[in-house]
Amino acid sequence: MMVSSIILRTSVRLILPLSLLFACFMSLKGHNEPGGGFIAGLVASIAFCIYRMSFGAEALLRLLPVHPRVLIFTGLGMAAVTSIAPLLFGLPLLTSRVGTIRVPLVSEPFHYASAVVFDTGVLLVVVGVSVGMIMRLSEELE
Amino acid sequence: MTNHWIILFIIVPQVTGILSVLLMNKIRAQRFIGTLSFVFNTVFSIYLLLEVRAHGTIFVSQMSDWPAPFGISIVFDGLSGLLVAASSMVALGCYIHSFSLMHPMTQRRYFHPLIQLLMFGVNLSFLTGDLFNLFVSFEIMLMASYAMLTLGAERRQLTQAYKYILLNLIASTVFVIAAGLVYGLMGTLNMADLARIVAEKTAPGGEGLPAGFTAVSVMMLLVFGLKGAIFPLWFWLPDTYYTCPISIAAMFSGMLTKVGVYALARTFPLIFAHGAGHSMIMVIFAISAAFTMFLGVLGAVSNHEVRRILAIHVISQVGYMVFGIALMTPIALAGCLFYMIQHMVVKSALFLCCGIMERYAGTDDLYKMGGLLKRDRLLAVLFFVAAMSLVGLPPLSGFFGKLVIIQEGWHIHWWLSVLGLATGALTLLSMLKIWSYGFWNPPKGQHVVVPTGAPRPRMLKSGYFGVTLLVLTALFLGFGAQPVYDIAFQAGEQLTNPRAYISAVLQYDIDAPPHEQLAAAEHDAEVVDPMAVVADEREEATP
Repeated sequence: MMVSSIILRTSVRLILPLSLLFACFMSLKGHNEPGGGFIAGLVASIAFCIYRMSFGAEALLRLLPVHPRVLIFTGLGMAAVTSIAPLLFGLPLLTSRVGTIRVPLVSEPFHYASAVVFDTGVLLVVVGVSVGMIMRLSEELE
Repeated sequence: MTNHWIILFIIVPQVTGILSVLLMNKIRAQRFIGTLSFVFNTVFSIYLLLEVRAHGTIFVSQMSDWPAPFGISIVFDGLSGLLVAASSMVALGCYIHSFSLMHPMTQRRYFHPLIQLLMFGVNLSFLTGDLFNLFVSFEIMLMASYAMLTLGAERRQLTQAYKYILLNLIASTVFVIAAGLVYGLMGTLNMADLARIVAEKTAPGGEGLPAGFTAVSVMMLLVFGLKGAIFPLWFWLPDTYYTCPISIAAMFSGMLTKVGVYALARTFPLIFAHGAGHSMIMVIFAISAAFTMFLGVLGAVSNHEVRRILAIHVISQVGYMVFGIALMTPIALAGCLFYMIQHMVVKSALFLCCGIMERYAGTDDLYKMGGLLKRDRLLAVLFFVAAMSLVGLPPLSGFFGKLVIIQEGWHIHWWLSVLGLATGALTLLSMLKIWSYGFWNPPKGQHVVVPTGAPRPRMLKSGYFGVTLLVLTALFLGFGAQPVYDIAFQAGEQLTNPRAYISAVLQYDIDAPPHEQLAAAEHDAEVVDPMAVVADEREEATP
């Protein structure tokens, strides 16, 4: 168990939810403005890394109870399915479907793009890869 | 013609690669889906090639449904089609060969996913119609090859891989810089669009190519030349292929250099060999072809280790292909294409034979080998056919490749043709050296796998199967050269006169008079003059 300062530990409690929220924001914002799954994944994995630095590997395992490999494959699978699906409808690979749906009780129609699933897949892959690498590297250091 | 299914050449290896990571500890299941993926790619590419041969079709798919110069186009024409078919075949042969000749521990280290990722990169680089995407696919391919080179992690392997990685990193950096410059100069990276702009600007009365275009061309020549191992950028090749497991070496020698040569054959006739630098680039090609051919074969003659001889021969053969590009006539480019695919198949077959020979002698040193003819007839026959195809004995495949290139070269660079013939003779010499030391002479080596007269062990069955597959393909390329050349001539024609390619990718009729194009534009706003749209967008972007 690493020894970390109380300042870091206290501030991480604040930083972690904020940066995860920011990651969600980045990944959703990316569809009309710069941003997207990749950058959101980086933000999220930085948050996890700081958490690991201050609370140790076991705490991270409690926070993120799946093996990074599972994250990578779920992400790759989501990306693969959403990119291949258009082929079945006679459209080129990676074609995004855009549309609007009305959600009950909300007055404005909800705008969606099927690319968001692809991007979420990218997010999961990035988080999986970077958390996995950091975990392995820090295991060897300790 | 639009055909969205051509993307399967890229998607199938990728998905198979992901699946085989999931099946990490089930080696049989991994082998099964891996073989299935390569068989699918081979069959599907041959099916599409039949269509290409019959109608001269160019299959195009625009990724994400973005119209041509904005999105990424995937193009399957004669040139890329033949190369995809040949590389899938080679991959299949090497993959099956690896079942029996690769150490199980090495196989467990992500070999099966990596070979799929390598094919993913190779196929993408053959099929992509976008210069930046070509860079991306090179990177995918290199990433897989870095890992595959170090499989087994012996000390000498790591030393050589370090050199390879360093050189390729430099080449990739130059490639990105050059691609950026192309975008700055021409405003697009789509190859068809670039070809269109180059043709317009160099046409009589055109404004001419922008200054610095020649510099970019030379940078591209440097990058693709390094990947293709042409003189003077070939020094990394012999050592790299010498150290890794033999099935992987076979695959690399078949494919990786050919990707570089393909990039030369695709981009230079279309785009870069135009404008003020044309004659200089042509001279560079011719001189480089001469040195590559001749120095390569000299190196091969002077060595006495089978792997080294074969690896250095790759360089010499690349020389013939560059010779074809240096002539830059439709027929010579067709010869270059035919030579590329036959060389992929034959060279990999020879490497795979070398793997089995090593099993007998325990080494690849010719001075310690011998007597293989008596010990193993099948191997001797397979090796002989493959070696003579490489040399270019008349009914076999190498002959038709060399015939077309040398005959065409006679009118343009006669001295290169003479050099080509001399190189052929020396190739024969070095192949006969392997033949006589390895197969003909009385036995000398240790009997590692089989003592004389014993039946072949079961464990090598798939090894023989892989070699046989490739040798049969080589025989087909020799005896069935005509249908292959039909496609190759078509591809050569399309490279030197890219109208068909441009209108297929950009999806408008380039030959139509302007007013008809205008009518078509009103009909479908997306296919107007793409450059005008780009210009509009730029004006909007800059305040």
